[in-house]
Amino acid sequence: MYRQGIEGVNYYLGIRSLEQVASRSDRVCVLNILGNESRTVTPTSHAFSGGNVVFGTAPGRGSQVLETPIGDIPVYNNVREGLNAGHTFNTGVVYLPPAGVRDGVAELVRVNPALEKIIIITEKVAVHDAREIRAMAQANGVDVIGGNCLGVADAWNRVRLGGALGGDHPEESLLKGSVAIFSNSGGFTTTIAQYLATEGWGTTTLISSGKDIYIHYAARDFAHALRTDDRTKAAVLYVEPGGYYEHGVDFGKPTVACVVGRWKSRLTRAVGHAGAMAGSGDRAEDKERWFREAFGVDGLFTPETPHASKTGAVVVNIADIPAALTAVMALNGAAPDFAPAGSLALKPWMANTQGIPIPEDIDLPVVPARDPYDGQIQALRQQIGAVIARQGMKDASGASVMDPKTQVTSVHGHAVLDLALEPLEATFALPLVHEIACENDRALLDVAVAAEVNLVGEPMLIAADAAREAGNAPNAIMAAAVCLVGPKRVERALACSRALIDLFAQSGLRDGRDEGFDLSGLTMDESTRALFLATPEEAEQPRPRAMLQAVRDRGGHSVFLRFLETLGGPPSRDAILAAIATTIAWGPLMRKRISRLTAETLPWYLRLYGVMVGASIEGRHHQRGSLHGIPRQERFSEWTVADLCYLAITGKRPEGDDARPLQLLIGLLISNGPGAISAQGAKGAVSADGPQTPGRVQINKGMAGFLTHTGYSHGGNGFEGMAFLLEQFRGKGLDDPTDPNHGFDLKAMATAFAEAYQAEKRQAKEVGQETRALPGVHHPVFRGNPVNYDPRERFIARFMDERGEYNIFHAFYRELVQALYEVGASPYVFCVNVDAVIAALLLALLWKDYRSGALTERDLETAAFNVFLYGRMIGAAAEIDDHLNRGRNMDTRSPASACRFVA
Amino acid sequence: MQLTGLMHGARLLRYVDFPVTEVLGPGASEDEIQDLLARHGTIFVKPIFKGGVGRKGKAGLVGQARDLKTALAEKERLYFAEHRHGTTLAKANGVTFEGAVPAEHEVYFSITDDTRYRAPTVTITHKGGVEIEELNKGELATIPFEALTGLKAFVVANALSDLGAPREIISPLVQHLPKLWDLFHHYGMTTLELNPIRLRPQPGGRLLPVACDFKAGFDRDDPRMARLGLPAHLFAGDVSEFEHEVNQLRTYQGQSDVFVINPNGTILAPTFGGGANSLVTEVLGEAAIISSDFGGNPPYEKMKDVARICYRHFLPQTNVLFIIGGKANNTDIHETFRAMGDALREFFAERGPTPLHVVVGRGGPNLIRGFGTLAETCDALGLPYRFFGFDSAISEVVAYARKVDAWMTAGGRDVVARHMGIRPNLETSA
Repeated sequence: MYRQGIEGVNYYLGIRSLEQVASRSDRVCVLNILGNESRTVTPTSHAFSGGNVVFGTAPGRGSQVLETPIGDIPVYNNVREGLNAGHTFNTGVVYLPPAGVRDGVAELVRVNPALEKIIIITEKVAVHDAREIRAMAQANGVDVIGGNCLGVADAWNRVRLGGALGGDHPEESLLKGSVAIFSNSGGFTTTIAQYLATEGWGTTTLISSGKDIYIHYAARDFAHALRTDDRTKAAVLYVEPGGYYEHGVDFGKPTVACVVGRWKSRLTRAVGHAGAMAGSGDRAEDKERWFREAFGVDGLFTPETPHASKTGAVVVNIADIPAALTAVMALNGAAPDFAPAGSLALKPWMANTQGIPIPEDIDLPVVPARDPYDGQIQALRQQIGAVIARQGMKDASGASVMDPKTQVTSVHGHAVLDLALEPLEATFALPLVHEIACENDRALLDVAVAAEVNLVGEPMLIAADAAREAGNAPNAIMAAAVCLVGPKRVERALACSRALIDLFAQSGLRDGRDEGFDLSGLTMDESTRALFLATPEEAEQPRPRAMLQAVRDRGGHSVFLRFLETLGGPPSRDAILAAIATTIAWGPLMRKRISRLTAETLPWYLRLYGVMVGASIEGRHHQRGSLHGIPRQERFSEWTVADLCYLAITGKRPEGDDARPLQLLIGLLISNGPGAISAQGAKGAVSADGPQTPGRVQINKGMAGFLTHTGYSHGGNGFEGMAFLLEQFRGKGLDDPTDPNHGFDLKAMATAFAEAYQAEKRQAKEVGQETRALPGVHHPVFRGNPVNYDPRERFIARFMDERGEYNIFHAFYRELVQALYEVGASPYVFCVNVDAVIAALLLALLWKDYRSGALTERDLETAAFNVFLYGRMIGAAAEIDDHLNRGRNMDTRSPASACRFVA
Repeated sequence: MQLTGLMHGARLLRYVDFPVTEVLGPGASEDEIQDLLARHGTIFVKPIFKGGVGRKGKAGLVGQARDLKTALAEKERLYFAEHRHGTTLAKANGVTFEGAVPAEHEVYFSITDDTRYRAPTVTITHKGGVEIEELNKGELATIPFEALTGLKAFVVANALSDLGAPREIISPLVQHLPKLWDLFHHYGMTTLELNPIRLRPQPGGRLLPVACDFKAGFDRDDPRMARLGLPAHLFAGDVSEFEHEVNQLRTYQGQSDVFVINPNGTILAPTFGGGANSLVTEVLGEAAIISSDFGGNPPYEKMKDVARICYRHFLPQTNVLFIIGGKANNTDIHETFRAMGDALREFFAERGPTPLHVVVGRGGPNLIRGFGTLAETCDALGLPYRFFGFDSAISEVVAYARKVDAWMTAGGRDVVARHMGIRPNLETSA
């Protein structure tokens, strides 16, 4: 049963011409006008269309209004109230939830005899309801558009009904022209209009049909209105598989049909468009064929095979629509509506390869976005460095994480095992720039740290020596020195960093090593210049000159150092430190890997690194111009950070690869994640200062926090493994622990110990005592298999094997775990843990001096502790910086409810 | 969502008093099967498949038995039978035993919504029992009817008369077939097909239409189907664990339609919009892991939940995280990108980093804020990325994502992994 609309059509169809789809005279009532979607969309539609919404409904919310840029829209409880208030409308727009759509349509149809059109925006209307809606509308002579659509619009009439075609700015997409668009996809309705503009085609009427099983206003209906619309010269259809809506339709005007969805036949369930599931004979391929036959073309239109006729063309890529339309219209002797605007070529607006080498054909250069987007992107770029959201950071870290399965900790994505293989100076930079430093930056870092190690004449040295004399452990000695590297001692260096970042931030500099960068565009005031230059008192200091000379000697590149050298006077030591820090930080800063705060505070950490290593060397070895007898320029120009650490530990100049084991050890010790006591100390110190006011956080105090949270049990216990090994090898005549031809029967030694240990265990059991644990053997995680490995130990063992390096202590440990199993002292072969490797490497390093009497057992213990501190200061720097950037004030405290009182 | 066979179909037909042959399920005892044989002489043994599986008879998957031994042998043969139907392989789990219905006439009958008429439509033929595609058009009647009044007796009568159906079958069918409209329309069905309906002679010579097979499709957006109380597991074969999790978040506003295309794919493409879904699914092909439509302006929390599920299931295998859509009309790009970025950060924090290249093609409200937020996330995680605005052809952006995927597959993934400091697994035991 249907009311007769247009004569000759055997169902109801009221819209005679596309002009009537969305006209200036349409008056609209919106159901559920205050719903989430309508609330944002309707005001734009209303304003764009000159105020065509007469009222809306929202049951129970009558008498409210919906604000729009051109005035309020009244809201009533129902349609009848709105009509009784004197409003009239011919178009209903439905934003109701799906369960209410059918009833909403019934309300519109029953209550308003003047109703002509309904537009259903709602998605997921049940097929049952769609069936009944169709029947109601047919019986009552109402055109329905949708459901699951974005409504209709008309570029000539400047009207948008229903949904959000054209988004926030309909005028951007709705350019007046000669092409009508009918699309199963709401999003693509606008997209196609925008694409058409690139070939100079504007639009008349745009219809988002939806793609439910029931398409209430379908291609056949559109074709009728198209044929009778004088404004429209051509049409574009976007269709998907499923349904016979386009079968046998005569469009009567040149038409480009875009059929997308061949792949959909592989889906057994609809995704997105409920009706886009082909049944029998209505697959994408079938539809392509319908259109090809209708247009009389042999194939699909592509740039390579431009099949087109005067009647039309078929494409399967929406990007080909504009060219296909131009080709079809050229055959009809018609030119585009206006000059082409833009292109559809690939245009990345934002990109970052993170320094990863990517093939040229996919490393497309960034191009300026169209207005107004480019301005917005530029505004974003003014913000340099990463922006990090603050959150409670108790027991949490954005810097380090320990893998509970392997117990391997990573710092900023780099496993400590890998860091152990990196040069130490690269590792020193990692916590602060979040990347492994390149060769140039490592050289600069070597200079920066070397320049801070000799503390002659500095109060830090006096404090350290005083702490040493008072019998403190190495951590407390370092802490005494660190406490004096307070904010005032780095004030100028940090100010220099800030000034350099300000000067270069918007200069376009991408690489701090780029000495060819044009500096002529930089301008600064006198006070900034003065900040960088040495004062008359400083001018004669040898250290800044030696630093610059060292950078030259090492072939280091820094645009910031070069900049300082153009200032017409000698730069200060602080300025040089800041320039080195900024060079290292610049790339990560520009790549937004680190925050500006991190870059600005980098000199403080570099100074602290130097002071901490320096404080571990007794005061008598700090002399003017030399350290442990090594001249300043040699250390600055030639030595690595690992060499300096070797010097501090052994008091000797490293030869050849001497410092390599130390580098390995320090790398392994960098971090055990945020749960480690040392990390907790550092984080607590930052938290207590209040990271939300980062300028007040004392980074040196953070280091002191870490240091005071180490001790004989946490850090100093590294000596336990060495003591155990000394027990086994003392007095046995071992000359060179790295010589595989040592002549010892390690298996016999291990078996003898294992048997004794087994006897000790039995005895302890009998008297009910605990057996002593063996340092370096077994691990609570790596257990339970017939043979167990600590992956960290395996990693180092493999590395040493590959290099042909041997360590007798390590070899003994491997024999020991086997022997313990063989004599029954262990239920399976325990792992040799990472502590054993550390003890073995360190003892081998110091063995000769110990044998000669140059080092006592007490010295060995100090050395083990210091090595731990060198490693962990890097990890602590990572936690301090992370907490400073990410944490909240006092976020490490425990709530009272989580605390216990113990009687 | 499809249901086939009489195991559950018989119960549904009884709701509307439509006669159906006697059916026993896989748990039937030997005595019960023997009784069924005694009553019907012949029984059919049919495997139970989940979802829509067609042409079982042609595939030799319908057993026939006149004695218990044969029935049990057929049960054993068919209980876990496999059936390839198009591109999908279905596996049976159980069998039904169905009494044979002696009849001279077999009828095909279906109701569905036909897009040619935009109305509910019956298809009927008195030459049923075969695939209807094998019949000539003149042997079938396809009649649309009025949804508000439903399927009326006269529609059936007219159709059968037009077909020249034997007179003796018209009256029984006119009496019984309209009942099926109630089942179809009021329980959320989109199709209902009975083939064959066999017309069994009753005492007195009158014929009774008896349904001997059942097939129904359901509308997942229609809550009416819940009235049938069908167990959810009947449709579980249709959805993967991933889809099930996402479906929990499904609302009428859409925002969470997913389908796993290739569980071994390498491009994870959260897609926005039905049109974009069609295009992206088409161009990505086998490389795509999922086909999705998250459009409809999802709020932050929902988008984050959906992203979290996607990442948990598929990110470790993903080469390219490809966020793609046209120029959104209504979806807030900043909110959706912020949600996807935050979920990505959480994934990295909980599960560790994974080598990825991020490619985005998008337009819409708050676009640059959204780009900026996602860029921050990628920068923080060390992920390479390239974002395209809406002025790049979406199909070209999809093709670009494929190119990046090809590079990642051909060694780029290792390069990215190395750069991100991701290391291979370590040994912990021998």
